[in-house]
Amino acid sequence: MSDLLKYMVENASIILNYTETHFSLIFSAVIISLLLWIPVGILISRNEKLAGIVLGIANTIFCIPSLALFAVFVTVPFLGLGRSSALLALVLYAMMPMVINVYQGIKIVDKNVIEAAKGMGMNSGQILKEIQFPLAVPVMFAGVRITVVMSTGIAAIAAYIGERNLGRLITEGLTRNNIEMILTGAILVALIAIFFDTVLGAFEKMLVPKGLKIRRSN
Amino acid sequence: MIELHDVTKIYDGQTVPAVEDLTLKIEEGETCVFVGPSGCGKSTILRMINRMIEQTSGDVLIDGKDVRETDPNQLRMSIGYVIQQIGLLPHRTVAENIGIVPRLHGWGKDRVAARVDELLELMGLDPEETRTKFPAQLSGGQMQRVGVARAMAVDPPVMLMDEPFGAVDPIVRSRLQDEFLRLQREMRKTICFVTHDINEAIKMGDTIAIFTKGRLVQHGTPQEILSHPKNEFVKDFIGQDRVVKMLTLFQVHNIARPNPCIIRENELPDIGRKMQQEQAPVIFLVDDSGKPCGLITAEDLERETANGAGTERLKELAYSKRGAFIGGDLLLNDALSYMLEWDTDYLGVMNGRGLAEVLSMADIRECACRKEGDQ
Repeated sequence: MSDLLKYMVENASIILNYTETHFSLIFSAVIISLLLWIPVGILISRNEKLAGIVLGIANTIFCIPSLALFAVFVTVPFLGLGRSSALLALVLYAMMPMVINVYQGIKIVDKNVIEAAKGMGMNSGQILKEIQFPLAVPVMFAGVRITVVMSTGIAAIAAYIGERNLGRLITEGLTRNNIEMILTGAILVALIAIFFDTVLGAFEKMLVPKGLKIRRSN
Repeated sequence: MIELHDVTKIYDGQTVPAVEDLTLKIEEGETCVFVGPSGCGKSTILRMINRMIEQTSGDVLIDGKDVRETDPNQLRMSIGYVIQQIGLLPHRTVAENIGIVPRLHGWGKDRVAARVDELLELMGLDPEETRTKFPAQLSGGQMQRVGVARAMAVDPPVMLMDEPFGAVDPIVRSRLQDEFLRLQREMRKTICFVTHDINEAIKMGDTIAIFTKGRLVQHGTPQEILSHPKNEFVKDFIGQDRVVKMLTLFQVHNIARPNPCIIRENELPDIGRKMQQEQAPVIFLVDDSGKPCGLITAEDLERETANGAGTERLKELAYSKRGAFIGGDLLLNDALSYMLEWDTDYLGVMNGRGLAEVLSMADIRECACRKEGDQ
Protein backbone atom coordinates (compact mmCIF):
# COMPACT_ATOMS: atom_id res chain seq x y z
CA MET A 1 0.00 0.00 0.00
CA SER A 2 2.69 2.45 0.99
CA ASP A 3 4.67 1.44 -2.10
CA LEU A 4 1.68 2.30 -4.22
CA LEU A 5 1.32 5.75 -2.63
CA LYS A 6 5.01 6.34 -2.92
CA TYR A 7 4.87 5.49 -6.60
CA MET A 8 1.95 7.80 -7.14
CA VAL A 9 3.60 10.75 -5.36
CA GLU A 10 6.91 10.28 -7.14
CA ASN A 11 5.25 10.10 -10.54
CA ALA A 12 2.51 12.61 -9.88
CA SER A 13 3.18 14.84 -12.86
CA ILE A 14 3.24 12.05 -15.43
CA ILE A 15 0.18 10.40 -13.91
CA LEU A 16 -1.63 13.69 -14.06
CA ASN A 17 -0.56 14.14 -17.64
CA TYR A 18 -1.80 10.63 -18.57
CA THR A 19 -5.09 11.22 -16.77
CA GLU A 20 -5.59 14.41 -18.70
CA THR A 21 -4.96 12.66 -22.02
CA HIS A 22 -7.28 9.86 -21.00
CA PHE A 23 -10.01 12.31 -20.12
CA SER A 24 -9.65 14.33 -23.27
CA LEU A 25 -9.77 11.23 -25.50
CA ILE A 26 -12.97 10.00 -23.88
CA PHE A 27 -14.46 13.45 -23.90
CA SER A 28 -13.81 14.00 -27.61
CA ALA A 29 -15.03 10.51 -28.45
CA VAL A 30 -18.26 10.94 -26.51
CA ILE A 31 -19.02 14.38 -27.92
CA ILE A 32 -18.46 13.18 -31.48
CA SER A 33 -20.55 10.07 -30.75
CA LEU A 34 -23.44 12.13 -29.38
CA LEU A 35 -23.42 14.44 -32.37
CA LEU A 36 -23.19 11.56 -34.79
CA TRP A 37 -25.16 8.68 -33.32
CA ILE A 38 -28.19 10.47 -31.89
CA PRO A 39 -29.22 11.81 -35.31
CA VAL A 40 -28.51 8.38 -36.81
CA GLY A 41 -30.69 6.75 -34.15
CA ILE A 42 -33.50 9.21 -34.84
CA LEU A 43 -33.14 8.71 -38.57
CA ILE A 44 -33.40 4.93 -38.40
CA SER A 45 -36.37 5.12 -36.03
CA ARG A 46 -38.30 6.50 -39.00
CA ASN A 47 -37.11 3.98 -41.56
CA GLU A 48 -37.27 0.30 -40.66
CA LYS A 49 -35.25 -0.86 -43.65
CA LEU A 50 -32.42 1.49 -42.84
CA ALA A 51 -32.67 0.50 -39.18
CA GLY A 52 -31.96 -3.13 -40.03
CA ILE A 53 -28.85 -2.23 -41.98
CA VAL A 54 -27.45 0.30 -39.51
CA LEU A 55 -28.08 -1.83 -36.44
CA GLY A 56 -26.45 -4.77 -38.24
CA ILE A 57 -23.34 -2.70 -38.90
CA ALA A 58 -23.26 -1.42 -35.31
CA ASN A 59 -23.46 -4.95 -33.93
CA THR A 60 -20.76 -6.20 -36.27
CA ILE A 61 -18.36 -3.44 -35.29
CA PHE A 62 -19.07 -4.10 -31.63
CA CYS A 63 -17.96 -7.71 -32.12
CA ILE A 64 -14.48 -6.78 -33.36
CA PRO A 65 -11.91 -7.02 -30.55
CA SER A 66 -10.73 -3.53 -29.73
CA LEU A 67 -7.06 -4.35 -30.00
CA ALA A 68 -7.64 -5.69 -33.52
CA LEU A 69 -9.60 -2.59 -34.53
CA PHE A 70 -6.84 -0.29 -33.26
CA ALA A 71 -4.25 -2.36 -35.10
CA VAL A 72 -6.18 -2.22 -38.35
CA PHE A 73 -6.58 1.57 -38.16
CA VAL A 74 -2.87 2.03 -37.60
CA THR A 75 -2.28 0.56 -41.06
CA VAL A 76 -4.63 3.08 -42.68
CA PRO A 77 -2.52 5.93 -44.18
CA PHE A 78 -4.41 8.93 -42.80
CA LEU A 79 -4.92 7.47 -39.36
CA GLY A 80 -1.67 5.84 -38.29
CA LEU A 81 -0.49 5.66 -34.70
CA GLY A 82 -2.10 7.88 -32.11
CA ARG A 83 -5.16 9.96 -31.48
CA SER A 84 -7.01 9.74 -34.82
CA SER A 85 -7.10 5.96 -34.80
CA ALA A 86 -8.03 5.86 -31.14
CA LEU A 87 -10.79 8.40 -31.58
CA LEU A 88 -12.26 6.68 -34.61
CA ALA A 89 -12.27 3.32 -32.86
CA LEU A 90 -14.01 4.73 -29.77
CA VAL A 91 -16.63 6.48 -31.87
CA LEU A 92 -17.31 3.29 -33.79
CA TYR A 93 -17.63 1.24 -30.60
CA ALA A 94 -20.08 3.81 -29.27
CA MET A 95 -22.29 3.25 -32.28
CA MET A 96 -23.88 0.09 -30.93
CA PRO A 97 -24.96 1.26 -27.44
CA MET A 98 -25.90 4.76 -28.58
CA VAL A 99 -27.74 4.09 -31.81
CA ILE A 100 -29.63 1.12 -30.39
CA ASN A 101 -30.71 3.05 -27.32
CA VAL A 102 -31.82 6.11 -29.24
CA TYR A 103 -33.70 3.87 -31.66
CA GLN A 104 -35.29 1.79 -28.89
CA GLY A 105 -36.06 4.84 -26.80
CA ILE A 106 -38.05 6.36 -29.63
CA LYS A 107 -39.62 3.08 -30.66
CA ILE A 108 -40.96 2.21 -27.22
CA VAL A 109 -42.88 5.49 -26.88
CA ASP A 110 -46.53 4.46 -26.46
CA LYS A 111 -48.00 4.39 -29.95
CA ASN A 112 -51.32 5.60 -28.56
CA VAL A 113 -49.63 8.82 -27.49
CA ILE A 114 -48.30 9.25 -31.02
CA GLU A 115 -51.71 8.39 -32.49
CA ALA A 116 -53.43 10.95 -30.26
CA ALA A 117 -50.84 13.61 -31.06
CA LYS A 118 -51.17 12.97 -34.79
CA GLY A 119 -54.94 13.06 -34.45
CA MET A 120 -54.69 16.48 -32.82
CA GLY A 121 -52.82 17.81 -35.83
CA MET A 122 -49.19 17.74 -34.65
CA ASN A 123 -46.81 17.24 -37.56
CA SER A 124 -44.07 14.63 -37.44
CA GLY A 125 -41.41 17.19 -36.52
CA GLN A 126 -43.47 18.40 -33.56
CA ILE A 127 -44.15 14.83 -32.51
CA LEU A 128 -40.43 14.04 -32.59
CA LYS A 129 -39.39 17.18 -30.74
CA GLU A 130 -42.15 17.38 -28.18
CA ILE A 131 -43.00 13.74 -27.58
CA GLN A 132 -40.68 11.08 -28.93
CA PHE A 133 -37.41 12.75 -28.01
CA PRO A 134 -38.27 13.74 -24.42
CA LEU A 135 -39.86 10.36 -23.77
CA ALA A 136 -36.83 8.59 -25.20
CA VAL A 137 -34.44 10.44 -22.88
CA PRO A 138 -34.29 7.79 -20.13
CA VAL A 139 -33.43 4.98 -22.55
CA MET A 140 -31.10 7.20 -24.57
CA PHE A 141 -29.26 8.23 -21.45
CA ALA A 142 -28.72 4.62 -20.46
CA GLY A 143 -26.93 4.26 -23.79
CA VAL A 144 -24.79 7.32 -23.13
CA ARG A 145 -23.76 6.01 -19.72
CA ILE A 146 -22.79 2.63 -21.14
CA THR A 147 -20.85 4.37 -23.90
CA VAL A 148 -18.88 6.56 -21.55
CA VAL A 149 -17.95 3.78 -19.13
CA MET A 150 -17.07 1.48 -22.00
CA SER A 151 -14.97 4.16 -23.71
CA THR A 152 -13.00 4.74 -20.53
CA GLY A 153 -11.92 1.10 -20.59
CA ILE A 154 -11.26 0.84 -24.31
CA ALA A 155 -9.32 4.11 -24.28
CA ALA A 156 -6.76 2.41 -22.03
CA ILE A 157 -6.11 -0.15 -24.76
CA ALA A 158 -5.28 2.70 -27.14
CA ALA A 159 -1.99 2.92 -25.26
CA TYR A 160 -0.84 0.10 -27.51
CA ILE A 161 -1.10 2.40 -30.53
CA GLY A 162 0.76 5.27 -28.97
CA GLU A 163 -1.84 7.12 -26.90
CA ARG A 164 -0.07 8.47 -23.85
CA ASN A 165 -2.80 7.80 -21.34
CA LEU A 166 -3.44 5.74 -18.23
CA GLY A 167 -3.47 2.58 -20.30
CA ARG A 168 0.25 3.16 -20.73
CA LEU A 169 0.79 2.68 -17.01
CA ILE A 170 -0.86 -0.70 -17.32
CA THR A 171 0.95 -1.86 -20.46
CA GLU A 172 4.34 -0.63 -19.27
CA GLY A 173 3.70 -1.98 -15.81
CA LEU A 174 3.07 -5.35 -17.39
CA THR A 175 6.29 -5.37 -19.37
CA ARG A 176 8.34 -4.06 -16.43
CA ASN A 177 6.52 -6.28 -14.00
CA ASN A 178 5.79 -3.18 -11.90
CA ILE A 179 2.79 -3.90 -9.71
CA GLU A 180 2.45 -0.32 -8.40
CA MET A 181 2.39 1.03 -11.92
CA ILE A 182 -0.30 -1.42 -13.05
CA LEU A 183 -2.43 -0.74 -9.99
CA THR A 184 -2.17 3.03 -10.38
CA GLY A 185 -3.33 2.78 -13.98
CA ALA A 186 -6.11 0.35 -13.20
CA ILE A 187 -7.42 2.28 -10.19
CA LEU A 188 -7.43 5.60 -12.00
CA VAL A 189 -9.19 4.16 -15.06
CA ALA A 190 -11.83 2.69 -12.77
CA LEU A 191 -12.16 5.98 -10.88
CA ILE A 192 -12.66 7.91 -14.10
CA ALA A 193 -15.37 5.46 -15.16
CA ILE A 194 -17.10 5.80 -11.80
CA PHE A 195 -16.76 9.57 -11.91
CA PHE A 196 -18.37 9.81 -15.34
CA ASP A 197 -21.12 7.42 -14.40
CA THR A 198 -21.95 9.42 -11.28
CA VAL A 199 -21.96 12.76 -13.05
CA LEU A 200 -24.12 11.36 -15.84
CA GLY A 201 -26.44 9.81 -13.28
CA ALA A 202 -27.00 13.25 -11.79
CA PHE A 203 -27.58 14.69 -15.27
CA GLU A 204 -30.06 11.96 -16.03
CA LYS A 205 -32.14 12.92 -13.01
CA MET A 206 -32.29 16.45 -14.33
CA LEU A 207 -33.12 15.48 -17.89
CA VAL A 208 -35.77 12.83 -17.34
CA PRO A 209 -39.17 14.53 -17.62
CA LYS A 210 -40.85 14.95 -14.26
CA GLY A 211 -44.04 13.26 -15.36
CA LEU A 212 -42.14 10.06 -16.00
CA LYS A 213 -40.63 9.90 -12.55
CA ILE A 214 -43.96 9.95 -10.81
CA ARG A 215 -45.27 6.54 -10.00
CA ARG A 216 -48.99 6.08 -9.79
CA SER A 217 -49.89 7.05 -6.27
CA ASN A 218 -53.46 5.80 -6.08
CA MET B 1 -72.51 17.76 -41.20
CA ILE B 2 -70.45 14.78 -42.26
CA GLU B 3 -71.13 12.95 -45.49
CA LEU B 4 -69.55 9.79 -46.80
CA HIS B 5 -70.21 8.91 -50.45
CA ASP B 6 -69.44 5.42 -51.76
CA VAL B 7 -66.41 5.23 -49.50
CA THR B 8 -64.28 2.12 -49.83
CA LYS B 9 -61.05 1.32 -48.04
CA ILE B 10 -58.83 -1.58 -49.01
CA TYR B 11 -55.67 -1.83 -46.92
CA ASP B 12 -52.39 -2.46 -48.70
CA GLY B 13 -51.80 -6.11 -49.35
CA GLN B 14 -55.41 -7.08 -48.72
CA THR B 15 -58.12 -7.99 -51.17
CA VAL B 16 -61.13 -7.82 -48.86
CA PRO B 17 -62.21 -4.21 -48.30
CA ALA B 18 -62.16 -3.02 -44.68
CA VAL B 19 -64.98 -0.66 -45.61
CA GLU B 20 -67.08 -1.14 -48.71
CA ASP B 21 -69.30 1.30 -50.59
CA LEU B 22 -70.31 3.24 -47.54
CA THR B 23 -72.74 6.09 -47.94
CA LEU B 24 -73.77 7.76 -44.72
CA LYS B 25 -74.85 11.21 -43.66
CA ILE B 26 -74.48 12.58 -40.17
CA GLU B 27 -76.50 15.73 -39.62
CA GLU B 28 -75.17 18.75 -37.81
CA GLY B 29 -75.52 18.43 -34.05
CA GLU B 30 -76.17 14.71 -34.29
CA THR B 31 -74.38 11.97 -32.42
CA CYS B 32 -74.02 8.98 -34.72
CA VAL B 33 -72.74 5.83 -33.07
CA PHE B 34 -70.87 3.32 -35.21
CA VAL B 35 -71.36 -0.09 -33.71
CA GLY B 36 -70.50 -3.61 -34.73
CA PRO B 37 -68.28 -6.56 -33.90
CA SER B 38 -64.53 -5.98 -33.90
CA GLY B 39 -63.08 -5.87 -37.38
CA CYS B 40 -66.28 -4.51 -38.92
CA GLY B 41 -64.47 -1.37 -40.09
CA LYS B 42 -66.02 1.13 -37.69
CA SER B 43 -62.71 2.61 -36.50
CA THR B 44 -61.44 2.73 -40.07
CA ILE B 45 -64.42 4.87 -41.04
CA LEU B 46 -63.79 7.21 -38.13
CA ARG B 47 -60.15 7.56 -39.06
CA MET B 48 -60.99 8.35 -42.66
CA ILE B 49 -62.92 11.41 -41.53
CA ASN B 50 -59.80 13.09 -40.10
CA ARG B 51 -57.53 11.55 -42.72
CA MET B 52 -55.62 9.37 -40.30
CA ILE B 53 -56.42 6.84 -43.02
CA GLU B 54 -56.98 7.76 -46.67
CA GLN B 55 -59.89 6.07 -48.39
CA THR B 56 -59.22 3.97 -51.48
CA SER B 57 -62.21 5.49 -53.29
CA GLY B 58 -65.22 7.65 -52.57
CA ASP B 59 -65.55 11.04 -50.90
CA VAL B 60 -65.62 12.22 -47.32
CA LEU B 61 -67.14 15.66 -46.84
CA ILE B 62 -67.41 17.87 -43.79
CA ASP B 63 -69.92 20.69 -44.24
CA GLY B 64 -69.88 19.99 -47.95
CA LYS B 65 -66.12 20.30 -48.29
CA ASP B 66 -63.96 17.34 -49.32
CA VAL B 67 -61.55 16.57 -46.48
CA ARG B 68 -58.77 16.02 -49.00
CA GLU B 69 -58.86 19.71 -49.85
CA THR B 70 -57.54 20.62 -46.41
CA ASP B 71 -54.01 19.99 -45.16
CA PRO B 72 -54.25 16.90 -42.91
CA ASN B 73 -52.74 18.62 -39.86
CA GLN B 74 -54.98 21.67 -40.27
CA LEU B 75 -57.96 19.38 -40.68
CA ARG B 76 -57.14 17.40 -37.53
CA MET B 77 -56.59 20.58 -35.53
CA SER B 78 -60.20 21.49 -36.27
CA ILE B 79 -61.68 18.11 -35.31
CA GLY B 80 -61.83 16.77 -31.76
CA TYR B 81 -60.35 13.29 -31.52
CA VAL B 82 -60.56 10.92 -28.56
CA ILE B 83 -59.23 7.36 -28.55
CA GLN B 84 -59.84 4.58 -26.06
CA GLN B 85 -56.27 4.60 -24.76
CA ILE B 86 -56.55 8.40 -24.54
CA GLY B 87 -52.86 8.87 -25.26
CA LEU B 88 -52.16 11.68 -22.82
CA LEU B 89 -48.58 12.90 -23.04
CA PRO B 90 -47.08 11.34 -19.90
CA HIS B 91 -44.37 14.00 -19.55
CA ARG B 92 -46.80 16.90 -19.74
CA THR B 93 -49.16 18.18 -17.07
CA VAL B 94 -52.91 18.02 -17.45
CA ALA B 95 -52.96 21.72 -18.37
CA GLU B 96 -50.25 21.24 -21.00
CA ASN B 97 -52.07 18.24 -22.43
CA ILE B 98 -55.33 20.12 -22.77
CA GLY B 99 -53.48 23.12 -24.17
CA ILE B 100 -51.88 21.26 -27.08
CA VAL B 101 -54.38 22.10 -29.80
CA PRO B 102 -54.93 25.71 -28.66
CA ARG B 103 -51.15 26.10 -28.75
CA LEU B 104 -51.04 24.65 -32.28
CA HIS B 105 -53.64 27.26 -33.18
CA GLY B 106 -51.30 29.91 -31.80
CA TRP B 107 -53.39 31.02 -28.82
CA GLY B 108 -51.68 33.20 -26.23
CA LYS B 109 -50.66 31.77 -22.85
CA ASP B 110 -53.42 33.48 -20.86
CA ARG B 111 -56.13 32.46 -23.25
CA VAL B 112 -54.95 28.84 -23.11
CA ALA B 113 -54.80 28.87 -19.31
CA ALA B 114 -58.30 30.31 -19.04
CA ARG B 115 -59.67 27.75 -21.47
CA VAL B 116 -57.97 24.89 -19.60
CA ASP B 117 -59.60 25.92 -16.34
CA GLU B 118 -62.95 26.31 -18.02
CA LEU B 119 -62.73 22.83 -19.53
CA LEU B 120 -61.58 21.19 -16.31
CA GLU B 121 -64.56 22.68 -14.55
CA LEU B 122 -66.86 21.56 -17.33
CA MET B 123 -65.49 18.03 -16.89
CA GLY B 124 -66.13 18.12 -13.16
CA LEU B 125 -62.45 18.36 -12.23
CA ASP B 126 -61.09 20.90 -9.78
CA PRO B 127 -58.77 23.16 -11.83
CA GLU B 128 -56.62 24.13 -8.83
CA GLU B 129 -55.98 20.54 -7.96
CA THR B 130 -55.78 18.99 -11.41
CA ARG B 131 -54.04 21.35 -13.76
CA THR B 132 -50.50 20.73 -12.53
CA LYS B 133 -50.87 16.98 -12.17
CA PHE B 134 -49.22 14.50 -14.51
CA PRO B 135 -51.25 11.77 -16.21
CA ALA B 136 -49.67 9.11 -13.96
CA GLN B 137 -51.31 10.83 -10.99
CA LEU B 138 -54.84 10.56 -12.39
CA SER B 139 -57.39 7.79 -12.01
CA GLY B 140 -58.77 6.06 -15.10
CA GLY B 141 -61.93 8.14 -15.03
CA GLN B 142 -60.03 11.39 -14.61
CA MET B 143 -57.77 10.47 -17.55
CA GLN B 144 -60.78 9.88 -19.77
CA ARG B 145 -62.20 13.23 -18.70
CA VAL B 146 -58.94 15.00 -19.50
CA GLY B 147 -58.89 13.19 -22.85
CA VAL B 148 -62.35 14.50 -23.70
CA ALA B 149 -61.45 18.00 -22.43
CA ARG B 150 -58.36 17.96 -24.63
CA ALA B 151 -60.43 17.06 -27.67
CA MET B 152 -62.86 19.90 -26.94
CA ALA B 153 -60.14 22.49 -26.28
CA VAL B 154 -60.77 24.70 -29.31
CA ASP B 155 -64.49 23.91 -29.30
CA PRO B 156 -64.40 21.99 -32.59
CA PRO B 157 -67.81 21.55 -34.23
CA VAL B 158 -66.99 17.94 -35.13
CA MET B 159 -65.73 15.29 -32.73
CA LEU B 160 -64.54 11.77 -33.44
CA MET B 161 -64.61 9.44 -30.45
CA ASP B 162 -63.21 5.93 -30.72
CA GLU B 163 -64.47 3.98 -27.70
CA PRO B 164 -63.78 7.01 -25.50
CA PHE B 165 -65.13 5.38 -22.36
CA GLY B 166 -63.94 1.88 -23.14
CA ALA B 167 -61.07 1.67 -20.70
CA VAL B 168 -62.87 2.33 -17.41
CA ASP B 169 -65.03 0.18 -15.15
CA PRO B 170 -68.78 0.04 -15.81
CA ILE B 171 -69.75 2.39 -12.98
CA VAL B 172 -67.34 5.13 -14.04
CA ARG B 173 -68.28 4.54 -17.67
CA SER B 174 -71.93 5.05 -16.95
CA ARG B 175 -71.17 8.28 -15.11
CA LEU B 176 -68.96 9.56 -17.93
CA GLN B 177 -71.69 8.73 -20.43
CA ASP B 178 -74.27 10.66 -18.43
CA GLU B 179 -71.97 13.66 -18.09
CA PHE B 180 -71.16 13.63 -21.77
CA LEU B 181 -74.83 13.39 -22.73
CA ARG B 182 -75.54 16.39 -20.51
CA LEU B 183 -72.73 18.38 -22.19
CA GLN B 184 -73.79 17.33 -25.66
CA ARG B 185 -77.33 18.53 -25.04
CA GLU B 186 -75.87 22.02 -24.71
CA MET B 187 -73.03 21.79 -27.22
CA ARG B 188 -74.88 20.06 -30.05
CA LYS B 189 -71.67 19.02 -31.73
CA THR B 190 -71.59 16.67 -34.69
CA ILE B 191 -70.17 13.51 -33.22
CA CYS B 192 -69.06 10.16 -34.59
CA PHE B 193 -68.81 7.73 -31.74
CA VAL B 194 -67.39 4.23 -32.13
CA THR B 195 -68.24 1.43 -29.74
CA HIS B 196 -68.71 -2.32 -29.79
CA ASP B 197 -71.23 -2.09 -26.96
CA ILE B 198 -74.82 -1.96 -28.22
CA ASN B 199 -76.02 -0.63 -24.86
CA GLU B 200 -73.64 2.30 -25.11
CA ALA B 201 -74.81 2.87 -28.69
CA ILE B 202 -78.44 2.97 -27.60
CA LYS B 203 -77.64 5.32 -24.77
CA MET B 204 -75.37 7.75 -26.60
CA GLY B 205 -76.69 7.79 -30.13
CA ASP B 206 -79.19 10.06 -31.82
CA THR B 207 -78.68 7.58 -34.60
CA ILE B 208 -76.94 4.23 -34.69
CA ALA B 209 -75.09 2.79 -37.67
CA ILE B 210 -74.59 -0.96 -37.43
CA PHE B 211 -71.72 -2.48 -39.40
CA THR B 212 -70.50 -5.91 -40.18
CA LYS B 213 -67.62 -6.97 -42.41
CA GLY B 214 -67.10 -3.45 -43.70
CA ARG B 215 -70.70 -2.92 -44.71
CA LEU B 216 -73.39 -0.72 -43.24
CA VAL B 217 -76.30 -2.94 -42.28
CA GLN B 218 -78.72 -0.48 -40.74
CA HIS B 219 -78.73 3.20 -39.88
CA GLY B 220 -81.51 4.72 -37.84
CA THR B 221 -82.59 6.06 -34.49
CA PRO B 222 -82.21 3.69 -31.54
CA GLN B 223 -85.96 3.23 -31.51
CA GLU B 224 -86.10 2.38 -35.21
CA ILE B 225 -83.33 -0.14 -34.85
CA LEU B 226 -84.76 -1.73 -31.73
CA SER B 227 -88.31 -1.91 -33.01
CA HIS B 228 -87.49 -2.81 -36.61
CA PRO B 229 -84.19 -4.66 -36.77
CA LYS B 230 -83.49 -5.03 -40.47
CA ASN B 231 -82.25 -8.61 -40.44
CA GLU B 232 -81.12 -11.52 -38.29
CA PHE B 233 -77.66 -10.05 -37.85
CA VAL B 234 -79.02 -6.85 -36.32
CA LYS B 235 -81.42 -8.86 -34.19
CA ASP B 236 -78.61 -11.08 -32.92
CA PHE B 237 -76.35 -8.11 -32.35
CA ILE B 238 -78.97 -6.34 -30.27
CA GLY B 239 -79.54 -9.49 -28.25
CA GLN B 240 -82.46 -11.48 -26.88
CA ASP B 241 -83.45 -8.64 -24.58
CA ARG B 242 -84.29 -6.35 -27.49
CA VAL B 243 -87.58 -5.23 -26.02
CA VAL B 244 -86.11 -4.57 -22.59
CA LYS B 245 -83.40 -2.52 -24.30
CA MET B 246 -86.14 -0.50 -25.95
CA LEU B 247 -87.35 0.40 -22.48
CA THR B 248 -84.00 2.11 -21.85
CA LEU B 249 -85.11 4.80 -24.29
CA PHE B 250 -87.78 6.04 -21.89
CA GLN B 251 -87.82 7.52 -18.45
CA VAL B 252 -90.53 6.71 -15.94
CA HIS B 253 -92.08 10.17 -16.12
CA ASN B 254 -92.56 9.73 -19.90
CA ILE B 255 -95.36 7.26 -19.28
CA ALA B 256 -96.34 7.42 -15.59
CA ARG B 257 -99.86 8.64 -14.78
CA PRO B 258 -100.59 11.52 -12.42
CA ASN B 259 -102.87 11.68 -9.38
CA PRO B 260 -102.20 8.43 -7.55
CA CYS B 261 -104.88 7.39 -5.07
CA ILE B 262 -103.66 7.81 -1.50
CA ILE B 263 -104.91 6.55 1.85
CA ARG B 264 -103.76 7.30 5.41
CA GLU B 265 -103.39 4.56 8.01
CA ASN B 266 -106.34 5.78 10.05
CA GLU B 267 -108.52 5.67 6.94
CA LEU B 268 -107.77 1.97 6.28
CA PRO B 269 -111.17 0.73 7.47
CA ASP B 270 -112.67 2.93 4.77
CA ILE B 271 -110.40 1.62 2.02
CA GLY B 272 -113.02 -0.29 0.04
CA ARG B 273 -115.31 2.66 -0.35
CA LYS B 274 -112.42 5.02 -1.20
CA MET B 275 -111.09 2.81 -3.98
CA GLN B 276 -114.49 2.31 -5.50
CA GLN B 277 -115.12 5.99 -5.40
CA GLU B 278 -111.89 6.84 -7.25
CA GLN B 279 -112.05 3.83 -9.58
CA ALA B 280 -108.33 3.31 -8.84
CA PRO B 281 -106.63 -0.02 -9.57
CA VAL B 282 -104.12 0.65 -6.78
CA ILE B 283 -104.00 2.70 -3.62
CA PHE B 284 -100.88 3.92 -1.81
CA LEU B 285 -100.62 3.85 1.96
CA VAL B 286 -99.14 7.00 3.52
CA ASP B 287 -97.89 7.25 7.10
CA ASP B 288 -98.65 10.14 9.44
CA SER B 289 -95.72 12.21 8.16
CA GLY B 290 -97.05 11.88 4.61
CA LYS B 291 -94.37 9.44 3.54
CA PRO B 292 -95.57 6.61 1.25
CA CYS B 293 -94.94 3.25 2.86
CA GLY B 294 -96.77 0.66 0.78
CA LEU B 295 -99.54 -0.13 -1.68
CA ILE B 296 -102.58 -2.32 -2.10
CA THR B 297 -104.11 -3.28 -5.44
CA ALA B 298 -107.82 -3.57 -6.08
CA GLU B 299 -107.41 -7.30 -6.67
CA ASP B 300 -105.61 -7.82 -3.36
CA LEU B 301 -108.28 -5.87 -1.58
CA GLU B 302 -111.10 -7.90 -3.11
CA ARG B 303 -109.39 -11.19 -2.26
CA GLU B 304 -108.53 -10.18 1.29
CA THR B 305 -111.95 -8.75 2.03
CA ALA B 306 -113.52 -11.97 0.77
CA ASN B 307 -111.28 -13.82 3.24
CA GLY B 308 -112.47 -11.47 5.93
CA ALA B 309 -109.12 -9.74 6.52
CA GLY B 310 -108.98 -6.90 9.02
CA THR B 311 -107.18 -3.58 9.01
CA GLU B 312 -104.00 -5.11 10.44
CA ARG B 313 -103.82 -7.67 7.64
CA LEU B 314 -104.31 -4.94 5.00
CA LYS B 315 -101.62 -2.83 6.59
CA GLU B 316 -99.25 -5.80 6.62
CA LEU B 317 -100.02 -6.43 2.95
CA ALA B 318 -99.36 -2.80 2.03
CA TYR B 319 -96.08 -2.75 3.95
CA SER B 320 -94.86 -5.85 2.11
CA LYS B 321 -94.50 -3.54 -0.93
CA ARG B 322 -92.75 -0.78 0.97
CA GLY B 323 -89.91 -0.62 -1.62
CA ALA B 324 -92.20 -0.15 -4.60
CA PHE B 325 -91.28 3.52 -5.02
CA ILE B 326 -88.96 4.98 -7.63
CA GLY B 327 -87.80 8.32 -9.03
CA GLY B 328 -89.28 9.76 -12.21
CA ASP B 329 -85.93 9.97 -14.00
CA LEU B 330 -85.35 6.22 -13.72
CA LEU B 331 -85.27 4.36 -17.03
CA LEU B 332 -88.16 1.99 -17.74
CA ASN B 333 -85.98 -1.13 -17.78
CA ASP B 334 -84.84 -0.31 -14.26
CA ALA B 335 -88.45 0.35 -13.23
CA LEU B 336 -89.35 -3.07 -14.60
CA SER B 337 -86.62 -4.57 -12.49
CA TYR B 338 -88.13 -2.91 -9.41
CA MET B 339 -91.53 -4.37 -10.26
CA LEU B 340 -90.05 -7.84 -10.42
CA GLU B 341 -88.04 -7.32 -7.27
CA TRP B 342 -91.07 -6.22 -5.24
CA ASP B 343 -93.44 -8.57 -7.05
CA THR B 344 -95.85 -5.81 -7.95
CA ASP B 345 -97.67 -4.50 -11.02
CA TYR B 346 -97.57 -0.93 -9.72
CA LEU B 347 -94.89 1.46 -8.59
CA GLY B 348 -95.25 4.80 -6.88
CA VAL B 349 -93.24 7.54 -8.59
CA MET B 350 -91.69 9.98 -6.17
CA ASN B 351 -91.14 13.65 -6.72
CA GLY B 352 -88.68 14.52 -4.02
CA ARG B 353 -90.27 13.24 -0.80
CA GLY B 354 -93.83 13.18 -2.07
CA LEU B 355 -95.72 10.70 -4.20
CA ALA B 356 -96.43 12.23 -7.61
CA GLU B 357 -97.38 9.56 -10.12
CA VAL B 358 -98.14 5.91 -10.57
CA LEU B 359 -96.49 3.55 -13.04
CA SER B 360 -98.15 0.28 -13.97
CA MET B 361 -96.96 -2.87 -15.68
CA ALA B 362 -99.71 -2.29 -18.23
CA ASP B 363 -98.18 1.10 -19.10
CA ILE B 364 -94.77 -0.50 -19.62
CA ARG B 365 -96.24 -3.21 -21.83
CA GLU B 366 -98.05 -0.65 -23.87
CA CYS B 367 -94.88 1.38 -24.25
CA ALA B 368 -92.87 -1.66 -25.36
CA CYS B 369 -95.47 -2.60 -27.96
CA ARG B 370 -95.89 0.91 -29.27
CA LYS B 371 -94.96 1.06 -32.91
CA GLU B 372 -92.44 3.46 -34.36
CA GLY B 373 -93.97 6.86 -35.00
CA ASP B 374 -96.77 6.51 -32.47
CA GLN B 375 -96.59 8.84 -29.55
